Amino acid sequence: MSRKLKTKEDYYLASQWTLMGRKLKKHKLAKISLLILAILYIGALFADFLAPYGLEEFNSLYKDTAPAKIHCMYEGKFVGPYVFKLRDELDFSTFTRHIYEDTSEYYKIRLFTHGEEYKILGFIKSDIHLFGVGEGSNGGAGAKIFLFGADKLGRDIFSRVLLGSRISLTIPFASAFISFFLGIAIGGLSGYFGGVFDIIIQRIIEVIGAVPQIPLWMALSAAIPSGISSVKIYFYITVILSFINWTGMARVVRGKFLSLKNEDYVMAARLAGVSTWKIIWKHLVPGFMSYLIVSLTLGIPGSILGETSMSYLNLGIKSPATSWGVLLQEASNVTDVAVHPHKLIPIIFVTITVLAYNFLGDGLRDAADPYK
Amino acid sequence: MDTNTAVMENMESNNPKKTFWEAVKDFFGKDLVQYIFKRVLMFIPTIFLVSILTFFVIQLPPGDFVSSHISSMLTSGEMVSEAEAQAMREDYGLDKPFVVQYVKWVKDIIWTPTDSSYYRINHSHHNWKYSFSYGQNVWTVIAERLGITVGITAIIMVFQYAVSIPIAIYSATHQYSVGDYIFSVIGFLGAAIPNFILAIVLMYLSYKWTGDPNLGLELKSGVGPFLKSLIIPLIVIGTSGTCGIIRSVRAQMLDEIGRQYTLTARAKGVKESKIIMKYCFRAAINPTVSGLGGILSSLFSGSTVTALVLNLQLQGPQLLKALQTQDMYLAGAIVMVQAILVVVGILLSDIALAFLDPRIRYSGGSR
Amino acid sequence: MDKDNILEVKDLRVNIHMMEGELTAVRGVNFEIKKGETLGLVGESGCGKSLTCKAILAINDKKCEAKGSIKFNSDESGEVEILDLNPKGEEIRNIRGKQISMIFQEPMVAFSPMYTIGNQINECTRLHITKDKRESKRISMEVMRKVGIANVEKRYNQYPHEFSGGMLQRALIAMALVCNPKMLIADEPTTALDVTIQAQILELMKSLQKDFNTAILFITHDLGVVAKMCDRVAVMYLGKIVESADTETIYANPQHPYTKGLIGSVHKIGGNREERLFSIEGTVPLAMNLPSQCGFYDRCTVAIEGLCNKIEPELVEIEPGHKVACFACDNEACRKECERARKMIPELEREKARQEEAAAQEAALRNKKKLFGRRA
Repeated sequence: MSRKLKTKEDYYLASQWTLMGRKLKKHKLAKISLLILAILYIGALFADFLAPYGLEEFNSLYKDTAPAKIHCMYEGKFVGPYVFKLRDELDFSTFTRHIYEDTSEYYKIRLFTHGEEYKILGFIKSDIHLFGVGEGSNGGAGAKIFLFGADKLGRDIFSRVLLGSRISLTIPFASAFISFFLGIAIGGLSGYFGGVFDIIIQRIIEVIGAVPQIPLWMALSAAIPSGISSVKIYFYITVILSFINWTGMARVVRGKFLSLKNEDYVMAARLAGVSTWKIIWKHLVPGFMSYLIVSLTLGIPGSILGETSMSYLNLGIKSPATSWGVLLQEASNVTDVAVHPHKLIPIIFVTITVLAYNFLGDGLRDAADPYK
Repeated sequence: MDTNTAVMENMESNNPKKTFWEAVKDFFGKDLVQYIFKRVLMFIPTIFLVSILTFFVIQLPPGDFVSSHISSMLTSGEMVSEAEAQAMREDYGLDKPFVVQYVKWVKDIIWTPTDSSYYRINHSHHNWKYSFSYGQNVWTVIAERLGITVGITAIIMVFQYAVSIPIAIYSATHQYSVGDYIFSVIGFLGAAIPNFILAIVLMYLSYKWTGDPNLGLELKSGVGPFLKSLIIPLIVIGTSGTCGIIRSVRAQMLDEIGRQYTLTARAKGVKESKIIMKYCFRAAINPTVSGLGGILSSLFSGSTVTALVLNLQLQGPQLLKALQTQDMYLAGAIVMVQAILVVVGILLSDIALAFLDPRIRYSGGSR
Repeated sequence: MDKDNILEVKDLRVNIHMMEGELTAVRGVNFEIKKGETLGLVGESGCGKSLTCKAILAINDKKCEAKGSIKFNSDESGEVEILDLNPKGEEIRNIRGKQISMIFQEPMVAFSPMYTIGNQINECTRLHITKDKRESKRISMEVMRKVGIANVEKRYNQYPHEFSGGMLQRALIAMALVCNPKMLIADEPTTALDVTIQAQILELMKSLQKDFNTAILFITHDLGVVAKMCDRVAVMYLGKIVESADTETIYANPQHPYTKGLIGSVHKIGGNREERLFSIEGTVPLAMNLPSQCGFYDRCTVAIEGLCNKIEPELVEIEPGHKVACFACDNEACRKECERARKMIPELEREKARQEEAAAQEAALRNKKKLFGRRA
């Protein structure tokens, strides 16, 4: 009983953020989404370690191979998870290469194997990968484990999905943040001052919204100087995405400002001589911050899809830099998909991420609504 | 029906005997007319800004179309000297500053005088310039696909609204029911899967089940094949928008259902179904109407990727090709036309909104 | 059911299902209203007044569940049990707006901004009186004129945002009265208005009541308004009626400490200016997991330890027509109630101990399971 009473008191005293957090905890779907996103981002952080192979490591023998078959029993004996090595043979009658599993020896899957060198979190050198295949049972070497199969150059799709997530998961996040601040600043000024300034900003928003996105992307990404480092390309793409996306946030903020600026508490602050900037940041923005956070969360999936289709059209991230959109270029026509359906695997990651962000956003929206 | 009676009653109460000027004054004194007038005036600076942005965008990629044209001529074996290239650049004004080029471009589109060589050849006062990659007048190139694009977009839009609004009403009135959950799941999935992947998967399924991947649009072989070839584009391009509309209308409806005036209506003894339609839906539809322009824009952009994958004869792929080959006047014209269509869409939706929502007329549109 | 009564509410309980649990907002309310009479229902915000009147029209939220009995004496179909009717059905819709209508608190949001005032008033007329367009419009306009809206021809075609607050409230009253109902529920109809408009609206309601012989359930937290409007008063606190009597008695001889507090917190003309207005300490507790004690115990100045914090007093009649629920009142009936309650306390204590023990056991079991579950 006393515990109940205490929570009741807490309920009255809690800030809006604590209340939001508490309500969010009750939203199961949002909680699961948050967990999934956490796993994905941690995966991206330790991608080098989790991925068995490097981004560009390839084996032409394994071109377009389907996901590796993992066996456990060898000749009626339990030996633990292992794979076979692939071999090829030229069929002289048809002159086609015939690829088959070499069952003469097996290669056990081992943990913490040595592979391509990388730097943990960007500064500690290491060559240990979470898993890989070791020596064969008869001392052979050269077997590979491609969990999601290989692309047309014989690169491991699993590793590339993991390594690509570093770009695919952070660009939308970063660009959503930039458009968030651009949107608040421009939309806020427009809504607060009104008049000519508002009319001009309104027109600009309308115009950017009216021009089809593809040419905007193309033109802006064509303007990226060629031959620059992938870090810089990354930076540019982020800026381009936010340049296109800030308008939606600005519109929301402007609408909120218009409805809030005539509230009594704002008038009171103004009469008390509070500066404009302080009114905007201390009195107006906190009033609908939760709402903005929701818009931010719901804006990220749009950016993820945007980046994906941009890279798919070869307008965004270009190889050697790799994002999920770049991986999906391999699935660009029906024949590819029909013959090698495993090339659609990256889409599962895109979809899960987008869904997770959407559900999280929905949960946040419910949590931010004081009437629920 | 209720608005009609209101309008009729409005007319009845007006005094029928008025002089012409009084009537005109009355007409322009009305909030609605003033609002529309203001809104149409706003259209002009918007189009002006669109043209600047368009020209800026098509200018942005490095290099110019003369260079790319010359390089393509060189590969096909023709010889072009540097002096000739320079002459071509000068002829198109490419050596001039941005502003001069822009002014010339816009001026020629708006009005090409009768004594110009362009008018003598094409009998048109609107010179959209020449497309290098097609070797044709830009307007001829555009006109070919403009009709199809607009038509398909219109069909998709109608489809979107026809599907999503009933679903949204159902979901809002049956919140947390099984149907609501099913539609929500489909909606979320539809919004989470990129268009081009959906297109490829549907094409694959179509190929597997019917032996025909349904590539392209069947424009010439009658209604049946045309409709059949329309199915996949309709699903692919329409779905993401449909999901968006369902979610927003549902949320709006739920908001309106919780409003005080819904309760007032119920306390009056109004039927539940009428409350939903007359009070909740009428108010909930407003944001959707005002988002019409945005949906139009996203349809144009969304259809580009899909059209590429599905090999549809729409303007999107044409635009992409024009941008890639630096065919700047063609790209500029397509961007311009699409942007103007979107701006007109926004204008119309704003005017429709003013008709629907009396508060907007009153506040002069400064929402 | 008494023939003179138009409405009888017996043991009305309203539960609200919330995420945090079940909240009993109305905990057994009894009252009746005679034809043409005005009953004032007084209490602080959150004491369950509004829920009570929504329950009468069966227009409560989905989350709310009303139990008990609300009997309405309809001329057409005789005695009707409102809680038994389908809340979306034809029968209740015939009562709503036509026989019982309601005036809401905030006129600004009670009209839909999408339609003209005329349209919304007319809807009621068309629904219950006549299908004829001209006739119904004429009736609607006439009622609008009656509630004091000037220039009705123009006003009829205007939208809510073109009306002032006072005018909207008049329009709302017109909408409530257009079908000439037998009973009117006025849920704080003047709270959102300034004082001069408030007086006008109250005058208007009074004169209209005379014209139409309407019974009014008048909900308010303003005792000044009650004195002006009501024949009888019921004071509500935490979902229960704690005192009811006719208006004069309540003012002259308030019994419950809460009623006394309410009356003490009203300005009196000619009172001592130096004296501070009386105020009741604290706020109404949340009606969830209420302990077995008088709801007012925490804020009461005359509470009896060992009695008021152990058991909740029942409403007893101390003189004809005057009921009160308090142990600390100095009269025969209340003393008897005290004795009755004292006898019950030991039994209640035992019951409480039993429940607590059971709860503790269950909690221990749950903890064990949790621990076990984690290990496994």
